Amino acid sequence: MDTLVIQTLNSIFYAAVLFLIAAGLSLIYGVMRIVNLAHGTFYALGAYVSAWAVGTAFGLGASGSGNLVLAGQLLLLPLGAIAVAAVGAVIEPTLLRPLYRRPEEYVLLITFGMLMILEDAMKFLFGGTPLSAGSIMDSMGSIRIGSLLYPSYNLVVIGVGIMAAIGLWWFIYRTRFGIILRATSQDRRMASALGLNVGRVYVQAFAIGCFMAGLGGAVVVPAQAAVLGMGVDALILAFVVIVIGGLGSLEGALVGALIVGFVRTAGIQFFAEIELAVLYLIAAAVLLVRPTGLFGKA
Amino acid sequence: MALLQTVDLKRYFGETRAVDNVNLSIEEGEFVSLVGPNGAGKTSLINVISARLTPESGKIIIKGEDITRLSVTQRVRAGIARSFQLVNVFDDLTTFDNVALAIFSREGKTAHLGTLAHLDHAVANEADAVLKQFGLAAKRGDNARDLSQGERKLLDVALAYALKPKLLFLDEPTSGVSTRDKGQIMDTIASVVRGEGITAVIVEHDMDVVFKYSDRIVVMAQGAILAQGTPDEIRKNEQVAMVLLGSSGPDAFTRKD
Repeated sequence: MDTLVIQTLNSIFYAAVLFLIAAGLSLIYGVMRIVNLAHGTFYALGAYVSAWAVGTAFGLGASGSGNLVLAGQLLLLPLGAIAVAAVGAVIEPTLLRPLYRRPEEYVLLITFGMLMILEDAMKFLFGGTPLSAGSIMDSMGSIRIGSLLYPSYNLVVIGVGIMAAIGLWWFIYRTRFGIILRATSQDRRMASALGLNVGRVYVQAFAIGCFMAGLGGAVVVPAQAAVLGMGVDALILAFVVIVIGGLGSLEGALVGALIVGFVRTAGIQFFAEIELAVLYLIAAAVLLVRPTGLFGKA
Repeated sequence: MALLQTVDLKRYFGETRAVDNVNLSIEEGEFVSLVGPNGAGKTSLINVISARLTPESGKIIIKGEDITRLSVTQRVRAGIARSFQLVNVFDDLTTFDNVALAIFSREGKTAHLGTLAHLDHAVANEADAVLKQFGLAAKRGDNARDLSQGERKLLDVALAYALKPKLLFLDEPTSGVSTRDKGQIMDTIASVVRGEGITAVIVEHDMDVVFKYSDRIVVMAQGAILAQGTPDEIRKNEQVAMVLLGSSGPDAFTRKD
């Protein structure tokens, strides 16, 4: 029973991180029709920047030195997300915008180029050794679930995931900007015919999508150290999530992330050898039955 | 001074003269109908004026200001709004949000990230007032895709109207709807436009509608202005009857075959 609770929490923890990444990817696709191959790398960049910020400000061995330090470290974590949003706000107008008039393969190739360059840039900036903010996790301790212990920090991540889902939903369906965003995603020409500044909407949407990826990296780094290659792994799983849920759909990203989270946890427990294969199989089955994904529109 | 003045406006498609040396003048507060056979250049003319097409030569002047080089967005700001021959509403948005969107666009505060659209009383009140004027108040929460064709047409016009334009172009607002809805749509449009003193230019094929609602009629043929005048003058113009109906005679417009 205790194990079941813990495995459920693990699944939701995993789903929360995946949701943050996939929601950003889906948002960018939904508004701009860009499949951003560098999205996983933005996630990794967020993780690196946050780990670096926490490590630089407080030193690597600063664990257990009081609540004040912990609070400071937690406050520094979102820096990764903000940094990635800033990178996105620069990349969209400079690298992507000149290519919108061309066939979409050009933009796809550019995002692939960004992936390669950013991976190398991170290796250059942060070195080859993993960068961790594990001191946060250590100093937050654990809670007792039955006879077992569960890291309290993971509950923070789950909370952030839930808040991000609610916040994003509110943002897209309840705010002025959300209405403009949905209108632009539906028909860019019509939106500009109505006098809306589509260029500005694009850079904002891209920055928000990047922020989500960076936030995913920022919240995960106290639990899992930032390592080279984590971005590509995340990208693949984020694609599985949105293939299942439907490209461009927020609800789809949420449900897809939960499905992948639970299947992955069950996989590690019961069928570790074919865990990824099962995920691909589910994605393939969804594509066969409902090519637009569970919540996608044709 | 005329509200809108085009000077020798020209736009060709290869050999086809879509807009051929058009000198059109629209006075403030007028309700003008643009008529002519298919391919006469009515929609092309509107497209050039609303920046959907660039002119080969000529000028577009709004209240003395040359707007020929302005972009679509800038022309909306300069006061030109239009509806489309094919309905242009945002299907995935509610009727209310569609109108709110036009109001946001007019206010130009797209960067106002956190503003709660539904709690922004000024916008909400205005959007509801517009919906009421166009008889869509009962549908405010429905997605635009679920409206009837006639309602979608009205919503399309309502969006252009909510931009509070100086000059409103309506491209066949009654195409594709039943005859019964046609009268209702035109009555609604005419009452809003006249009530607010908006200057409107409407493209329309149904001559009954044209004669009933227009202050002035501009007849186009082969890209050029063939004739213009009051409904009575146009009704009596045999050349116009020839072009529009392929027949002439004093009762050409009233004869039903």
